[in-house]
Amino acid sequence: MEYPEIDAFASLDSFIHRLDPRAKIVSFTVLIFSFAFVNDIKIALLILMFSALVLVSSRIPLTFAVKRIRLVFFFLFPLLIIMPVTVDGNEFVSISGISLSIEGLLYSSLIVIRAMAAVTLALIMLATTRFDVTMKALYALGVPGILVQMLMFTYRYIFVISDEFSRMWKAMECKGFRLKANYYGLSILGNTLGMLIIKSYDRTSRVYQSMLSKGYGGRPVTMIQFKMSAKDYVLSICMTLIAIFVHTYQLVLL
Amino acid sequence: MKEAIKVENLDYSYPDGTTALEDISLTIYEGEKVVIVGPNGAGKTTFFLHLNGTIKNPGGDVTVFGRSITSMKLKERIHEVGVVFQDPDDQLFMPTVFDDVSFGPINMGLDEDDVKRRVIKALSKVGLEGFEEKVPHNLSYGQKKRVALASVLSMEPKVLVLDEPTANLDPKSRVDFIDLINHLNENDGITTIIAMHDVNAIPELANRVYVLNRNIVAEGSPRDIFSDWELLNKNNLEAPDVFKLFKVLNCFGYPSDNLPLCFNEAIQVLTSSIEGKEGHIHLHLHEHTHKEINDVINSYNHHRNNGYK
Repeated sequence: MEYPEIDAFASLDSFIHRLDPRAKIVSFTVLIFSFAFVNDIKIALLILMFSALVLVSSRIPLTFAVKRIRLVFFFLFPLLIIMPVTVDGNEFVSISGISLSIEGLLYSSLIVIRAMAAVTLALIMLATTRFDVTMKALYALGVPGILVQMLMFTYRYIFVISDEFSRMWKAMECKGFRLKANYYGLSILGNTLGMLIIKSYDRTSRVYQSMLSKGYGGRPVTMIQFKMSAKDYVLSICMTLIAIFVHTYQLVLL
Repeated sequence: MKEAIKVENLDYSYPDGTTALEDISLTIYEGEKVVIVGPNGAGKTTFFLHLNGTIKNPGGDVTVFGRSITSMKLKERIHEVGVVFQDPDDQLFMPTVFDDVSFGPINMGLDEDDVKRRVIKALSKVGLEGFEEKVPHNLSYGQKKRVALASVLSMEPKVLVLDEPTANLDPKSRVDFIDLINHLNENDGITTIIAMHDVNAIPELANRVYVLNRNIVAEGSPRDIFSDWELLNKNNLEAPDVFKLFKVLNCFGYPSDNLPLCFNEAIQVLTSSIEGKEGHIHLHLHEHTHKEINDVINSYNHHRNNGYK
């Protein structure tokens, strides 16, 4: 079965790939937050270009990245239509009596561009590190053990459960079931999902027994071996400076 | 012989009140290969979870190498008895193979180098060197099964308990897995306790067989157990095909009473009995042969005769 793996290209090699996972998480998070609060559309365009540049230098195949970023774009796209109509301001064009405002257009573009830049960065951060390493880095950064364990189990069992669901679905199709948007179809779908939850519940007790058999005592059990090198420090400081610069450039340039 | 595991008067009921195990008493000696057979739902898995103290049960005592399992610390328990579960997806719960195989050793409080050494050793034992960084969902079922075994071997247990190790494996993986278990038993001195339905594999994996159906119904060598067709019938069990075939050969006048249980043994037995009769054996068909064959068919095809018509 094909899995939609976010870390499919984590084994490539680029300076982003080589960056220490902890440093990557911290500096990318700082950048994402900083970019999310940019208020000037020109700066927003610059940070979008910056994100694109980082994406290209990370060597992640563009089709892979675009496929994922596209989803976010479709989600945001309605803003570009709705906001010019709803936000008051100078009219720049009027289509059959509905006036579109420049302010609305600019404002919605700003939101979309910022979001795209932030999502691109988040994608780069997750796609250049194996997901298990990301989780270990989170633990090393002091994220509570219980959250890290929940994330670990989610990552491990999402594939098992999706396999289970697709087996059930195939079995249903083999018996002639086709999903239609009627009462019957929905009730069968509901039953299937309920069955899936019961199966998962049964599995949790077996997994827990197997954890106990391996001496589980409540804490995440993992060996973490990260080492920060001078390059990691330099790169993360640079990225943090960029994050600060997009908000303080007026002060610096004046 | 040293006693590896001794169970005395073990009773257990599921939380909903159904009786799972009744008055189980058995002793398994160090270095033995024991197979536990029994119908579905006979309580084999539940019984196994008692052996390393995963199920805590005041209703009975499990002693491992002379010490009560309830008195042992967690780290000691998992070092004594390792349980390999039937579904490897239950046993591999960590993001990568390395994390799973190192889970036990880390819990045992070993230092980093020891943990790494054990992971490498355990993976090479199951023939999966270099799989450390793989994620379980990208492995085949057979590979997952072997990783699950490695994740238990890394704790270097003295007793290895396996639940249905050959179920759902392709023939090659099945044979590999049987050889691996036998290798661990013979070369590393690990006592193995196995639950399975795969009757054709039992002769290779057992010196002794227990029949479990809530309580211990019978105990004996594989030959004793498979010769008792009434016992097999009552407990939804079957005899290996080779054994049944030689039972039929007996009716045709085949001279040996020492009936083989598996393919390799059959070759040896046939060769030696033909040699003993100066190069050929005599089979014949008499009036009474048909009746004898019918008896064998009736006794060993019991599931078919009183099943669906």
